[in-house]
Amino acid sequence: MKTYREINDRILATLTQPNRGYWGWLALCVTGVLTGAGCWAYQIATGLGMEGINHPVMWGTYLVNFVFWVGIAHSGTLISAILYLFKAPWRTPLARSAEAMTVFAVSVAGLFPLIHMGRVWVVYWILPYPNQRNLWPNFQSPLLFDVIAISTYLSVSLLFWYTGLVPDLAIIRDRATGLRRKIYGFFALGWTGSHKEWNHYGWAYLLFAALATPLVVSVHSVVSWDFALGVAPGWHSTIFAPYFVAGAIHSGLAMVLTLLIPLRRIFRYEDIISMPILENVAKTIVFTGLIVGYSYLTEAFIAWYGGSAAERGIYHWRAFGHYAPFFWLMVVCNTIVPLAFYWKRVRTTIPALFGISILINIGMWYERFVIIISSPGHEFDPYSWSIYQGPTWVEYGILIGSFSLFFLLFLLFAGFLPTVSMTELKEDLAPPRRGLGAGPASAARPGGNHA
Amino acid sequence: MHSHVRLQAIFVYLDDLLRALRSLKDRQLTIHAVHSPVPNHEIAALMADRASPVRYITLAGGILGIVTGFSLSVYTAMQWRFLVSGKPPVPRVPYVIESFEFCILFAVLFNVIGLLLLTRLPRFGLPASYDPRVTEDRYSVLVSCTPAQREEISRLLRENGAEEVNVVS
Repeated sequence: MKTYREINDRILATLTQPNRGYWGWLALCVTGVLTGAGCWAYQIATGLGMEGINHPVMWGTYLVNFVFWVGIAHSGTLISAILYLFKAPWRTPLARSAEAMTVFAVSVAGLFPLIHMGRVWVVYWILPYPNQRNLWPNFQSPLLFDVIAISTYLSVSLLFWYTGLVPDLAIIRDRATGLRRKIYGFFALGWTGSHKEWNHYGWAYLLFAALATPLVVSVHSVVSWDFALGVAPGWHSTIFAPYFVAGAIHSGLAMVLTLLIPLRRIFRYEDIISMPILENVAKTIVFTGLIVGYSYLTEAFIAWYGGSAAERGIYHWRAFGHYAPFFWLMVVCNTIVPLAFYWKRVRTTIPALFGISILINIGMWYERFVIIISSPGHEFDPYSWSIYQGPTWVEYGILIGSFSLFFLLFLLFAGFLPTVSMTELKEDLAPPRRGLGAGPASAARPGGNHA
Repeated sequence: MHSHVRLQAIFVYLDDLLRALRSLKDRQLTIHAVHSPVPNHEIAALMADRASPVRYITLAGGILGIVTGFSLSVYTAMQWRFLVSGKPPVPRVPYVIESFEFCILFAVLFNVIGLLLLTRLPRFGLPASYDPRVTEDRYSVLVSCTPAQREEISRLLRENGAEEVNVVS
C-alpha cells in the first residue's frame, strides 16, 4: 500500500458484509457463551458445591481462569504501549488487535471472582465503601489490591484502545451513510483532524503509553501477591511478581499469534501482518520463555537451598506427586517447546507458529493450575493435605464459556471495527509530496477549475 | 455584510500545503485550522503548536491520585483501629500499592478529560467548513481574509498548488 487512500480502501474492505464462515464462528461462540452462562446459572441455583473446591483446596479453576485471562491481557497493552514508547516499527499492524485482546481478556477475567464468589448479587461488598458498622474493606489485603489494580487496568486499557480508535472511527464515519454514519459518528466524537486536535492527541496518547507501561508490570505483580502474601509453601516467594509478569507476557504473546494468524488469513493481511512481524513476536516468545524457564529453575533451587522441609515437600509433590503430569506439561509447553523458535525455519512457518502458540496457551493455563491448586492442598500439616476434587462439569462448562466469550468479543471487534490502525499505517508512509509519486492517483492539477 | 470571508483550500501534496501556509503567514492572515489525515510535525511547526497543556492536567491527576489512594487507605484504617501484635494500625508499605494504582487511574482519567476539554470534543455535528476528504488523503487549510483580499488569496492558494479553493460560511 503506497497511498493513504489505498490504506483506507484495504482496511475498510474488511468491514463490509461478513461471509458465512464469520457467522458460523459467531454462532459457535454464542453457543459456548450460552453453555457457560447456563452452567453458571445452575451453580447459582444449586450452590458453590458444584465447583470442585473443598477444604483445604478452596481456590479452584475459577481462580486459575482469572489469573490466566489477566495474563493474556498483558501483552496487548505491553505491545502497544512499550513498543510505542520505543517507536518499534513492527508495532503498528499488531497494536489494535492486541489492545482489543487486552480489553476482552480483562473483561473475561473480571467475571471469575464473581463466579467464584457464589453469591454474585453481593458483589458490591468488595468495593471500597464502608458497611453499616463503618467497617471498610481491608486496604492491606492483596485481594483489595487486586480489585483496584484490575479495575484500573480495565479502565486504562479500554480508554487507551478507544482513544487510538477515534481518528479511525472518523474515517469510517466520513465514508459511511445512514445509520452506520450516525453510529460511527457518535463514537468518533466529532473528530476533524485539525492541527490542534492532532497536537493535543499526540501528547495525550504518549502520556497514555507512558502511564500504561508501569501499570502493565504492576497489575500482574499484584495478582501474584494474592498468592505470595499468603504464608503457604509454594506461594510465599519473592520471585512471584517477576515470575508472574514474565509468564503473563509469555502467554499474551502466544495468544497474539493465536488470534492474528487466522485474522491475517481471513482478511488477507499477509502483507500488513507480515512474516517478519510474526517472527519478531516469536523471538520475543523465546525471550519470555527463557525467563519463565529460569523462574522454574529458581523455584527448584530455592526449594532445595532454602532448607524448608515444607517448601521442598511441595516442590517435590508438584513434580512427582498427584499433579506431576500437569507440572511436566507446563515445563515442556512453556520452556522447551518455544525454544523451537530458535530455528528460523520454525518461526517463519505458519502451522508451526500457530501450533506452538496454542501449546504455550495450554502450558500457561496448566502453570496457573499447578501453582494455585497444589499449594493449599500441601501445606505444613500433613493431616490437612488433600487434592483438588475438580474440575467438575460445571467448571468445564464455564471454562468453555470464557473462551467462547473472549473469541465472540474478538469476532465482533473484527467485524465492526478496523483491526489495524489506518491512521498509524498512514503515519508509517512518507507524506505525499509533489514529484515523489506518493500522491493519490486522483490528484487534480494544481490551480484547478474549482473556486 | 461580513467584514471577513473564510476560504478553504484543499491540497493533495504536503509540500504545496506547507508553501501555502508560509505565504499566508507572510501576509499575516488568520489561519483557523489545518486539517490532515495524519499528524505532521512540519505543519505543527508552521502553526507554532506548543507542547500541549494536557501534560499538566495529567500530572495534576496523578498527584491527586496518590493523595486520594493514600488518604483513603489511612482513613479506612483509622476508622477501625485493628491492632495485631502491637503493629501500627496504619502501615505505610501496603498503601504504596493503592497510591500507585490510584495515581495511574486518576492520571489517565485526567488525561482523557484534558484531551476532551482542549480539543473541545465531543462535538455532535461537524463544522460547516469540514471536508470529509481530509480523513482520506487530502489536506485542507481554513483562512480568513477581507472581501477585498478574496481574489488575491484564492489565486495565491491555487498558485501554491491548491486543488480547490472554496468560500465557506
